[in-house]
Amino acid sequence: MNTNSNTYTVIYTTLVCVLVAAILAFVSQVLKPKQEANEKAETVSQILTAAQFGSKSEWQAMGNDAVLKFYKENAAQAIVINAAGEKVKDLSVEKIEIYSTSDLKAQNYNVKDGSKMGEAQLPVYIFSNGISVIPIYGAGLWGPVWGYIALKPDLHSIVGAYFDHESETPGLGGKIKDDPSFRAEFEGKSIDYSDEKPFRIVKGGAPAGKANAIDAISGATMTTNGLAAAIVNWLKAYRGYLESGSSAAAGNACTESVCETATEE
Amino acid sequence: MNKVFEKGGKLYWLHSTVDAFETFLHVPGTVTAKGCHVRDAVDLKRIMIIAVLAAVPAAIFGMWNVGYQHALATGTDANVWQAFWFGFLKVLPLFVVSYAVGLAIEFASAQIRGEEVNEGYLVSGFFIPLIVPVDIPLWMLAVAVAFAVIFGKEVFGGTGMNIWNPALLTRAFLFFSYPNDMSGSQTWIALRKGETLVDGATGATPLSFVADGGMDALQNAGVQYGTGFWDMFIGAIPGSVGETSVIAILIGAFILIWTNVASWKIMLSTVLGGLFVGGLAQLCGGTDIPCLYHLVMGGFAFGAVFMATDPVTSAQTECGKWIYGFFIGAVCVIIRLFNPGYAEGMMLAILLGNTFAPLFDYMVVERHISGKNKKVKVA
Amino acid sequence: MSNLKETILNPILKGNPITVLILGICSSLAVTVELKGAIVMALSVTIVTGLSSYVCSLLRKTIPNRVRIIVQLVVVALMVIVVDQFLKAYSYTIEKQLSVYIGLIITNCIVMGRIEAYALGNKPLPSLLDGLANGLGYGIILVIVAFFRELFGSGTLFGVPVLSAIGYTNNGLVILPPFALILLGCIIWIQRSIQKDLQEK
Repeated sequence: MNTNSNTYTVIYTTLVCVLVAAILAFVSQVLKPKQEANEKAETVSQILTAAQFGSKSEWQAMGNDAVLKFYKENAAQAIVINAAGEKVKDLSVEKIEIYSTSDLKAQNYNVKDGSKMGEAQLPVYIFSNGISVIPIYGAGLWGPVWGYIALKPDLHSIVGAYFDHESETPGLGGKIKDDPSFRAEFEGKSIDYSDEKPFRIVKGGAPAGKANAIDAISGATMTTNGLAAAIVNWLKAYRGYLESGSSAAAGNACTESVCETATEE
Repeated sequence: MNKVFEKGGKLYWLHSTVDAFETFLHVPGTVTAKGCHVRDAVDLKRIMIIAVLAAVPAAIFGMWNVGYQHALATGTDANVWQAFWFGFLKVLPLFVVSYAVGLAIEFASAQIRGEEVNEGYLVSGFFIPLIVPVDIPLWMLAVAVAFAVIFGKEVFGGTGMNIWNPALLTRAFLFFSYPNDMSGSQTWIALRKGETLVDGATGATPLSFVADGGMDALQNAGVQYGTGFWDMFIGAIPGSVGETSVIAILIGAFILIWTNVASWKIMLSTVLGGLFVGGLAQLCGGTDIPCLYHLVMGGFAFGAVFMATDPVTSAQTECGKWIYGFFIGAVCVIIRLFNPGYAEGMMLAILLGNTFAPLFDYMVVERHISGKNKKVKVA
Repeated sequence: MSNLKETILNPILKGNPITVLILGICSSLAVTVELKGAIVMALSVTIVTGLSSYVCSLLRKTIPNRVRIIVQLVVVALMVIVVDQFLKAYSYTIEKQLSVYIGLIITNCIVMGRIEAYALGNKPLPSLLDGLANGLGYGIILVIVAFFRELFGSGTLFGVPVLSAIGYTNNGLVILPPFALILLGCIIWIQRSIQKDLQEK
């Protein structure tokens, strides 16, 4: 057979392409549910780690199903708010509707750009012990960085945080994810909207007694700057929601412990 | 040389080590066998010694400054001699480590190759302590020196064959390996165990203020040392041991140029390159830092005088030297102004200049040849 | 039989794709920060080179010469995407860590090189072995480099503290890609001083 004739070449390449496409479609169909569960469980476990329900390695050991089940049992509600702080819609806890990293990326265009702030639709995950978790997203040195910040019911004291990145330098910028001591610095700090930047990551050490600042990672200036900008941008977008919540808490004139029990009921 | 060390002698394998010490004290006894030849008293060793002598003022000033900064930052009193003694004790171990590790490797590799030991490291070993923070842990310095001498020099064939300046390679290794100990505001002031800074004192260098907030940050720094142009010119500011005082470095530059050891063209063109980019950025409103400040801040002066002029790694052609120097000065200021990650750019600029030096030479030679060819054709 | 042995051993020692042919350098700089990632990458490349060599060898008599490269590329791409999909489903965290570099196996010169140079002229079984062996030769170097980089860069092995447990200060340069190049240089140096016939004049 002449394998170099035009007809043969066209038929051959068409066949190969169709065959390859069919195989790929089949593989993708079979593996899709598993991949999606992986992705969802990863995001959920990051949210749960930020809210101090456990450590990242514990979630990994538990497996996808257990992580998702834990979320269903402990989340009180998940809502989407706009920049004014009003609730736009509910996210189903039962179906585990959450914003994936690509959803956050899409929202980041609105959050970064002041004029589009009105179009932002941002998720808040509220757990039954009163802790709310909000996401942040921005650019690191080599690629995107994102993460979650968990807040007490007064909506300005930080309980914990978790950060992840796509391609920061391991051992330097990668520490935002890998170094537990960096994340631990967030615990007990608070957001201060009276400051020009509601939260600061200070190169060379945060001044003692400043409640809304932590130390930067030395040797990773660009990553920490990027992360700090991401936190500031997103906190500004959440300002409407967080301030309405915290002023309500202040209006009740209750101590934190009383507030917590109040929300738990 | 003693007979036992000559070829066939019992201790022949040690000949390169013995030779190194012998020629250190005496002029080599070998002469060309045929024809006439001109012998200059200035050989490689003399050149090296002059380069070291030129750096001595910077080293002595640096030692005093280490003590002076320490006294300022801890709020203690120290007269000139106490300050110098404190700094001397701090800097001496750096010299010891730098020479011990570097020379050990030099001797070992010369033995392995069976060649004479070269004196190149005498200069590098003297420069290395001057371009690192005084509080760098000694073991880090040892690792860095070993890395630079082995991978920067010996694998290319030893003195004269290296592409990059070994002293700067040492610093680059430290800079990328141990960023915590090489930058930030804690590293530049020598502290004894248990000592703390007095309130308001900082170890931050003028460059780091500029990098964080431009001219405002520098002028309102509120530090224990002065941050005006002349303060930085005199050099009583924190920084690497030998890089702070422009006066001391200028004395060195004078010695180097007067004895014809280093190229004034490279020094001048580096300064011009820095001024050009600094001035351009200032004119276009890219920065509020006067371009003259770049010459007195950080390692610019030390780099331009002692590092960029290293005869092995710089450009060889006269025209190439102008391009090479200008390139270094320009890249240094570009990094300082436009790369938010690095406050200082001199080290990276010179290493990049070293990398491109052969290319500059090639360009110059090619141009020259094609110019000559055209003339020939016309004729 | 000795021929078969040669097919397997040659790519690992005397014809190692990285240290002798200097192929696949880019990915060996990028994925060798941690041992775990390097091993997964090594296995993925081994599987891709092996299977695509096998498939191309099966098809070698039917492939129209004019579109040879395109057909090979399609086969390689198929293998890479399948491997990537499986990693996503069963080894999610490592897939995330390796990110684009799994996809970039398609452009790894070793894969195409072996198909062009070997699989198109040989029977399927030897082609499979040749592909696997080349993947292994690549993988061994990857693992050696990653071993040193993780040990001296992060003080850990497979994420378990080894040197960092005894007070080692992590070296930032080792983690940066240029150091992989230096390590590769050292491996090539050692290999050529042992196998003297590899030295160029």
